[in-house]
Amino acid sequence: MKERFASGYNDFVLPFMLSMIFILVYLLVAIIRVIIQLPPKDRKRYLLSLINPVILVKDIKDIICDVLLHVKIWKRKPLLGYMHSSIAFGWFMIILIGHIETFLYVPERAGLLYYPIFFRFFMMETNHTLQGALLFFLMDFFLLVILSGIALAMFKRIRSRALGMRRTTRTTLPDKIAMYALWAIFPLRLLAEGFTAGISGGSFLTKSVWLLFSNFLSNDYHILPTWWAYSIALGTFFFCLPFTRYMHIPTEIFFITLKNAGIKSWHPRKGYALAEIYSCSSCGMCIDACPMNAQKKNLKYSSVYFIRFLRRRNRRKMEEIADKCLQCGKCVAVCPVEVDSCRLKLLSRERHRDGKIKADYTYLQRVNTVEPAEKRPKVLYYAGCMSQLTPSIGKAMGSLLDKASVEWSPMDKDGGICCGRPLILSGRREEAQAMIQRNTELILASGADTLLVTCPICFKVFREEYNLPGIRVVHHSQYLNELVKSGALKVEKEDTRMVYHDPCELGRGCGIYEEPRELLSKVCELVPAGHERDESICCGGSVGSITLSHEERVHITDAAVEDLMTNHPQEIVTACPLCLKTFSPRSAKKVRDLAEVIDRCSTSPEK
Amino acid sequence: MNNRNVVIIGGGPCGIEAAKTLAKLGHTAFLIEKEPHLGGHLAKWDRLFPYGQKADEVLNKITSGLENVKWFVDTQVTSINRIDKSYNVILGNGMSILADAVLLTTGFSLFPAEKKEEYGYGIYDRVITNADLEHYFAEGNDHRIQYPKKIGFVHCVGSRDEKAGNRQCSKVCCATAVKQACEIKEKFPNSTVYCFYMDLRMFGRNYEDMYLEAQKKYGIIFVRGRVSEVSEKQDGTLLIKAEDTLSGKPLRVSLDLLVLMAGMVQNSDTAKFAQMLSLNIPEDGFFQSKNYFTAPGVSSKKGVFYAGACTGPKTLPEAIAEGKSVALTIDEYLL
Repeated sequence: MKERFASGYNDFVLPFMLSMIFILVYLLVAIIRVIIQLPPKDRKRYLLSLINPVILVKDIKDIICDVLLHVKIWKRKPLLGYMHSSIAFGWFMIILIGHIETFLYVPERAGLLYYPIFFRFFMMETNHTLQGALLFFLMDFFLLVILSGIALAMFKRIRSRALGMRRTTRTTLPDKIAMYALWAIFPLRLLAEGFTAGISGGSFLTKSVWLLFSNFLSNDYHILPTWWAYSIALGTFFFCLPFTRYMHIPTEIFFITLKNAGIKSWHPRKGYALAEIYSCSSCGMCIDACPMNAQKKNLKYSSVYFIRFLRRRNRRKMEEIADKCLQCGKCVAVCPVEVDSCRLKLLSRERHRDGKIKADYTYLQRVNTVEPAEKRPKVLYYAGCMSQLTPSIGKAMGSLLDKASVEWSPMDKDGGICCGRPLILSGRREEAQAMIQRNTELILASGADTLLVTCPICFKVFREEYNLPGIRVVHHSQYLNELVKSGALKVEKEDTRMVYHDPCELGRGCGIYEEPRELLSKVCELVPAGHERDESICCGGSVGSITLSHEERVHITDAAVEDLMTNHPQEIVTACPLCLKTFSPRSAKKVRDLAEVIDRCSTSPEK
Repeated sequence: MNNRNVVIIGGGPCGIEAAKTLAKLGHTAFLIEKEPHLGGHLAKWDRLFPYGQKADEVLNKITSGLENVKWFVDTQVTSINRIDKSYNVILGNGMSILADAVLLTTGFSLFPAEKKEEYGYGIYDRVITNADLEHYFAEGNDHRIQYPKKIGFVHCVGSRDEKAGNRQCSKVCCATAVKQACEIKEKFPNSTVYCFYMDLRMFGRNYEDMYLEAQKKYGIIFVRGRVSEVSEKQDGTLLIKAEDTLSGKPLRVSLDLLVLMAGMVQNSDTAKFAQMLSLNIPEDGFFQSKNYFTAPGVSSKKGVFYAGACTGPKTLPEAIAEGKSVALTIDEYLL
């Protein structure tokens, strides 16, 4: 290997170099900006995480898995995963091997950014070495991998369904320019390297291109223009980068380090949120995930568009989507980058809730559900507003607790206080504090060591917003499972085919998927739904949405019921009173709560 | 005039009236009823508003003169196929009728009150429906009604309630509730009776008088506001929460008996017949007439007609009148 030019420079590298300098400066400024915007506590936490070896290892692992290999997309949609990882990993490998080549053959040029990228223009092969052949082979191989990815990407624009996506994102003009530039980069590189392969050498791909073209291209005048074109394509891509969705490529690396430091967003557009927004790749996985898209006209409310409007500071449209969202969390569950768009929407609601509401909290002190000392229960049962509206749950729960001889008492049978979550979900976190405080007093004064909840909406807020030292907060799906396992309740298997609906707040919200299934499998034949666990479809009744109308919700409910009916169950079982109440009027099959089913199938062990 | 076959599906007051009139006009009327007896909901009622006339008296009057009608009870319609201009109606008993016209008088179903779970029907022992109460008035026994001292009526259960899937007003429940409130007060004179209503729609002649009498003579307490939730106490009595929207105050009342005024919804068989006859049904599930004013009994398919509550909630006199009038419409069509 020998350098062709003593200067090691040609003007065609300029578009690439200028864009590279531009983007590096831009990224540096952006990173510093985000770090400055972080609250001091988070900033300290972040900087400390950078010297914590455990977190660093996780950072590196996540960067390789998520940014380069796209493991999360592979798991859900293999072909789409291949498309992303072939381009990302292939590109990374080409850059890496380019640097290795430079380092091996012309170490004095190692500091030049452009040299590894345009290596074959500047080098000529004097004799064959095995090492050189291997590197050339690897370069051609990864170029082929990338080209296959690009071909898939082009095909996806025509038929997204073939890659497992029913719908894909609407692109913006800068996105389009950058996309076409990206598509052009690698074919141009193939041509440039192919034309030069007679001088620089090449492997199976570039050499073949040279062999093909050298037959009818009699001179070398086209070599330089092709390198120019390649450099311009790269330049265009990098200059456009900050204004396009492709900004996620560099941002995601930074975002992973922030995420692993344990930081969360606290403002819809600043600091961590800024990194989140720019990490969104607009891949559109959230479009198919969103339950609102049971109606095509609601496509515009997908999280990807929320992030887009947030990025563009389009307050009106951003708020419209934020208020519409059901907060079911499915878009967050399927997001390959783990952008917590639900949290961002909630933060946006909190920020833009105009005016204070005049709330009368005087009644809070009048509510006193604390039992006298001699009747202090071990288990305090909080039914919540929704379970009050579905009395079958409370009744079944009471019967079950009595059967299992649990010392319990109801906390809100004769008028209780709301858990506060509906207020929080509507962006009124502050207003909810008075209720949270009074409930906390009542729970602590009750003398119970367990707070039993039948509503996952309440369950989530008790777990996350309440400070209840010494008290275990437990959902009835967990508690009943324990009672059955410990033998405090005896159950008998029925000959009924049932399907379990994962309530959003219990599944994606609290990560409880196993307990209800374990419990149900003991009393019935449990058949799977079309979409389960973290892919379960919201019932449509969610209190998360502020502006979604009943008519629109009905479409979601019907879609969810249809999905549950995939394997023809005889009954639908859920573990949330709101899901129960939403499904009941729209389902041909009987909908029941877990507690009702277990109550029907269980007996007290003594009898 | 030719003698033509007309199949009437649904043997309630409206269907009976139509069948009788068609027979008088010289056609062969086949009246098909899935239940073991004719009369529809009327057969299950005790007394009728506004004058308190016994339902069986009215029904006897309606069902007299059915000699010229070929009627079948306990009979389902298995299928209906169009053959040229007529319809081949195949019945569950194996019979098939080549009909020149088909009249749907399928009526309504009562809203299944257990779907409003917050009212606890089917969960709490002392929650009953208007139909249960009529049954009690007629038969005189119901284990759920044991000398109640405080009784509540909830209007609009499953009516004017989007979440329950019905936006329509069921028309008759207000008057029925007032009638039943007076009747139960008569039965248990020492009881206190509450009516929880949204609006009181006393639209007919003498209905308003009935309402005034309920307040003056019977002392029924009318509370404007919906019941939000019902819970059961240890002793089995009910605690209901409501809002008195006139005073703007939340309200809690203990009751011994709660009566839910289940409204009218489309008959559960509507969809089945719509499919058999390829008829479009709008979102509310009731059949849609060709024209509300000028062609109330005419469907979008030639030779298929509607009458009665299958096109929306109707009072009994309205249903009877529609049955009679649609017979003339069919007669004109068959000429």
